[in-house]
Amino acid sequence: MTGRQWASGVGGLLVCLAVWQVLVGSGLIEYDLLPSPWTIAAGLSTLVVEPAFAVELGHTLAATLLGWLVAVLAGTGLGALLGTSPRARRYCLASIEVLRPLPAVAFVPVALLLFGFSLQMELLVIVAPALWPALVNTMEGFAGVPQRLTDVAATFHLSAGTRLWRVYLPAAAPAVLVGMRLSLSLALVMAVVAEMVGNPEGLGYALVREQQALHPDLMFGYVLVIGVAGMVLNGLLLLASRFALPGLFRRPVARWDSA
Amino acid sequence: MNRLLPAWVGLLPLGILLLVWQVAVPAASPNFPPPLAWWHALVAMARAGVLVPAVFETLWTFLAGLVIAIVAGFGLGILIGTVRQVRDWSTLILEFMRALPPPVVVPIAVLMMGFAPAMKLTVIAITAAWPILLNTVAGVQAVPPLLSDVGRSMHMPWHVRVWRIVVPATVPALLVGVRVAVALAIVITLLIEIFTSLPGIGVLMVQGQRNYNSAQVFGLLGLVGVLAYMLTIVFALIEGVVLSRWPPRVAHR
Repeated sequence: MTGRQWASGVGGLLVCLAVWQVLVGSGLIEYDLLPSPWTIAAGLSTLVVEPAFAVELGHTLAATLLGWLVAVLAGTGLGALLGTSPRARRYCLASIEVLRPLPAVAFVPVALLLFGFSLQMELLVIVAPALWPALVNTMEGFAGVPQRLTDVAATFHLSAGTRLWRVYLPAAAPAVLVGMRLSLSLALVMAVVAEMVGNPEGLGYALVREQQALHPDLMFGYVLVIGVAGMVLNGLLLLASRFALPGLFRRPVARWDSA
Repeated sequence: MNRLLPAWVGLLPLGILLLVWQVAVPAASPNFPPPLAWWHALVAMARAGVLVPAVFETLWTFLAGLVIAIVAGFGLGILIGTVRQVRDWSTLILEFMRALPPPVVVPIAVLMMGFAPAMKLTVIAITAAWPILLNTVAGVQAVPPLLSDVGRSMHMPWHVRVWRIVVPATVPALLVGVRVAVALAIVITLLIEIFTSLPGIGVLMVQGQRNYNSAQVFGLLGLVGVLAYMLTIVFALIEGVVLSRWPPRVAHR
């Protein structure tokens, strides 16, 4: 983005907030449940200093990261297996295509039934959908490794471990990272969902609690916190992957995918 | 087509899993009822006359919300994509809205609109419009300069240029956005039903869970899976038909 675009982008945001502030603040729009941006900012500033807030944020982040870790370990492992073996793909792909569109929210009642209100319940709801982006992207990355490279590995009689570490992983790393990033943002979304309709802890529950208590300023505050948490997690992962693989990450690959 | 419908042998792992589940788990298992028990629970709900209306309600909500999202997302996307001032001024707002997880819209809408049917449609339309809008904007910007030059050199008025050149060239990008929106709209529809207990499949799942009727919950999970898979296939077919007749521009991601 050029400087001019940045300026108008910020301008647009400020104009929107100003119009909102003037309409609600001056009483032109009289509506109890829509607070002005200023009220939301005030609510947010009281919110973030409360000790309970740190606990809520910590719970949601812990559930997100734990679920993501499980999903990425299982997803990349299975994806690597399927990506390197055409036969495994042939015998599994249709099952994956059938299971993948299964809407993640539908796991909430099942998870509640099996685990009650607990962290395990959240983890099931997080892992079930977050598995797929990691699995599918890893699989496509491994399957797309150029034949020249695998031929070279075969010619040199490289061991399976060396082949994985020296040939497949470097070539498939960008795709694997894309899968990991999609999984991470999905994991946060699902953690919030699981807390909204299941386990009464964390940011998702706090959001619903403030909605039911008719505290719109605090509710919008939590909405902002959740949005920022998503951006920060995504940014950190991007930073970490640039640091780990400086050469491979020059062209960012973007792929939309969803629950 | 091969990519969409992989070899049927690929269904073996799923089939074997269900078969083993059926054979190995006792029929009265409280937590993991076998697949035949799911079927019996579904049949029982259908006999009681609650299943079919719920399925129709969910599908109707999904479809109506999706249609609104497509119209709104595509329209706004064309506007933002073609008018540079609008695009520049809305970049940051769009970036922030994109970063927001879609489910948080549900409590906001419940607070503002209450438990009304209009609330359901609004939430689905708003959340599902985002992928469509963003893909449309990207699609407009990827219109080949040659095409826009043709319009300009023929002195077409603005609206003719948009309607005759930009809109047709953006349809493949729109379809990519809709594919994402379909999956998202299903999730949000179910979430609203689970969250607000407005009628639909989601409510039946919650009821089953509260009554510890695990066969009902698993049966509905299976039903939802089948419905979601069929919707995905139907949409992929529509996408394939449209794209195969579209001007020789290939869909881009």
